[in-house]
Amino acid sequence: MVYTLSTLEITTRGSSSLNDIGIALRMEQVSKQYPGTLAVDHVDFEVRAGEVHALMGENGAGKSTLMKMLAGSFDDYTGQIYVGNAPVELRSPAEACDHGIGMVYQELSLAQPISIAENLLVGRLPTKPGGFVDRGKMMDEARRCLQQVGLEHLDPSMRIEEISQHEAQLVEIAKVLGRNPCILVMDEPTSALSREEVKRLYEIVRKLRKRGLAIVYISHHLSEIFEIADRVTVMRDGRKVGTEDMAGVTPQSLVQMMVGETIDEFYQQRHPDLGDTVLTVDRLTRHGFVHDVSFSLRAGEILGVAGLAGAGRSELARVLCGLDPAHGGSVILDGKILKPNDYPAAVAKGLVYLSEDRKLQGLFLRLPVSWNILASLTAKHSTMGLYGGARDRSIVEQQISSLQVATASSEEDVGNLSGGNQQKVLLGKWLAKGPGVLILDEPSRGVDVNAKRLIHEAVMALADQGAAVLLLSSDLPELVGLSDRALVLREGHLIGEISKDQMTEESVLLAANGELPKGGDA
Amino acid sequence: MKKLLSHMGTLGIYGVAVLLLVVGRVVSADFLTAENMLTILNAVALLGVVASGMAFVTYSGHMADLSLPSVMAFSGIITVATLSLGLLPALVCGVLAGMSIGAMNGFVIGRFRANPILWTLAVAFFMEGFMRFTWSNNQVYPDIAPGSAGAAFIGIFRTDIGPLPLVVVVMLLMLGLGQLVMTKTRFGRETRFVGSSRAAAVTSGIHVPRVVMLNFLVAAFAASVAGVLITSMNKLGVFYLGQGYDFKAVTAVVIGGVMLSGGRGNMLGVLGGVLVIGLLTNIMTFMGITSFRQNIVTGIVFIVVVGLQQYRLRAGGRSSE
Repeated sequence: MVYTLSTLEITTRGSSSLNDIGIALRMEQVSKQYPGTLAVDHVDFEVRAGEVHALMGENGAGKSTLMKMLAGSFDDYTGQIYVGNAPVELRSPAEACDHGIGMVYQELSLAQPISIAENLLVGRLPTKPGGFVDRGKMMDEARRCLQQVGLEHLDPSMRIEEISQHEAQLVEIAKVLGRNPCILVMDEPTSALSREEVKRLYEIVRKLRKRGLAIVYISHHLSEIFEIADRVTVMRDGRKVGTEDMAGVTPQSLVQMMVGETIDEFYQQRHPDLGDTVLTVDRLTRHGFVHDVSFSLRAGEILGVAGLAGAGRSELARVLCGLDPAHGGSVILDGKILKPNDYPAAVAKGLVYLSEDRKLQGLFLRLPVSWNILASLTAKHSTMGLYGGARDRSIVEQQISSLQVATASSEEDVGNLSGGNQQKVLLGKWLAKGPGVLILDEPSRGVDVNAKRLIHEAVMALADQGAAVLLLSSDLPELVGLSDRALVLREGHLIGEISKDQMTEESVLLAANGELPKGGDA
Repeated sequence: MKKLLSHMGTLGIYGVAVLLLVVGRVVSADFLTAENMLTILNAVALLGVVASGMAFVTYSGHMADLSLPSVMAFSGIITVATLSLGLLPALVCGVLAGMSIGAMNGFVIGRFRANPILWTLAVAFFMEGFMRFTWSNNQVYPDIAPGSAGAAFIGIFRTDIGPLPLVVVVMLLMLGLGQLVMTKTRFGRETRFVGSSRAAAVTSGIHVPRVVMLNFLVAAFAASVAGVLITSMNKLGVFYLGQGYDFKAVTAVVIGGVMLSGGRGNMLGVLGGVLVIGLLTNIMTFMGITSFRQNIVTGIVFIVVVGLQQYRLRAGGRSSE
């Protein structure tokens, strides 16, 4: 049985009021186990035909996993999924597609050097006898798809690289709609769009809703949710917190649902002993990512940086430490202007960056723990230009024991360690160097609670010893628990600052959405 | 035990060498003589010198420098062409000329991340054309009148140091020095970091373009030394002198346990790889196998070894890069 838009329209016609249209999708007590964690924990979730259903939650709440389940990414989920009223198995992407589930992902999946038409119809190109592509039919079908997203002015024979980014985003949606889904999942669909383009996207979403599609809309942006959604489901720690009508919630109550009860005893209160200003960032700019950002950082201080996904946190860190080129502004470290776009020089002066993606950017997975810890020290610790020996070993042993890295030996490849221990090694690399300014980008993403606690203790100890720490985190308890104050980034602009006494998970999340606490102006 | 396992790659290649010694003894009674062993060493000496440099390029994660044969030919031609300045100045000119190609390779590949294989292939093609054009497709002969710098030059290859020919001593020196640089110096360590993960090396504050540059420079230096020696051996400089050394050197490096993906291996293994190639070639010659068919065997050995390395990487679940 293949569920398409047309089958749904038949049900629509037979019913009188909107509420009777019926359930397009129902997930009953679904769970997904990852090694070590239950990513989705007995969740009930339903979407009606003809509604936009927002799915919200912090990073790691389980919404991506839930949607991957829907996309057929797992063959080992438990629980029952119904499409329409029929029970279905979604154990492969093909099954999900056959049951009319369409996914629009954040990252574009279009092939740049190929025409719009071929991208739209990939995998189902109309052919003539002999296997030749029926070009006329392909163009007609492509035009029909483009029309659905208001792109009828585009020539489908144009290549993707010839059209703009936002048009490509809409083509992506058209590609999914071309398969006539009855359930459409949109994951942060506005992340690549400007304000004007977002409005156009809303119009398209409303049109699709009117036609009876069930739309799941994932977004971190509260304003979007209030603009477009009919109902909202909030997830936290793999569980469903609740489903509400949008009419019955406020931004504050939604945020409250997302963050839940705050457990504060996890973080002991720090009484920072602030020293001199060590880092001053002056009107730093990188076109398209970071605009005119200025702030300063004192010795012994942990300064948090809050912001939604795409607010430009990592971009700020990378341009600040010299990994990416700046288009304007300067960074002053210990009274001296830092040479732009020269990260090795910054590291030599004690400004270091713990990158967000430990597997791809941070660690040498195929090298032993010892080598990873010593990676920051190649410029130092030589005996007559020669390396190795007792001093290296003692540095390695000290980091392994103080961070309690669980490894068979210091010669074990880092790739064989668990995520938490990998992250400790990554931190150990910089602790071994004894940095003056440490930029941490998501220092505890994807690690277990114990590793997280050790990492946090190490960061606080470092600050107590007089290092300045810039903490970029989307983990709200972490950000609130560790930071002495926090900057708020939004669309690459520094929009304000939150002091320690104003800082709660709610205030940070609201500020990241543009609602600063009173008197919190920088 | 762990240490032993990590040295398996190195030990393995010497195991193969011993096996080949046995096979050689079976093939011919004349095989296992001091004279033949010396013949083998002499035959692989130039390969060993080139491999000692090539190993750095492979170790740094850039697979191979295919321009090394043209570096060899070029350094030889320049040496011969500048012999009128005296032997030592000519040798310096020749080696510097070869290294200038390495500097260019290293700059372009390190700074602009050009594909090392394609870039060095293009440079090799360019250099061949350049040398043929400049010297009108001719061989360049030194003046070998007795007492001249030219005579001293062609004598280099024919010098013995004790029981060993000079070329063998140079090979052992280059490999020994290479081992020291690779494992004990800052440059060697940074090369391993870059070879293991370029992105992680960048975020660790390592000056990656500079490290890459130095690796290609080291490779060109070794090839230039080999180029001087092979020119001395042939008593003439010409554009095709280094032909075939690119692939043979990578083969020696890879069967010596240096991973094509970078970051693993050492010079002791490379020496083993060079010896295995020498033994294999020698045995095949004893068996009356012609050089073209020997190439077929070398090609097959390379494919098998690279296949095994990849398999081991996958089996270890570490092919995520």
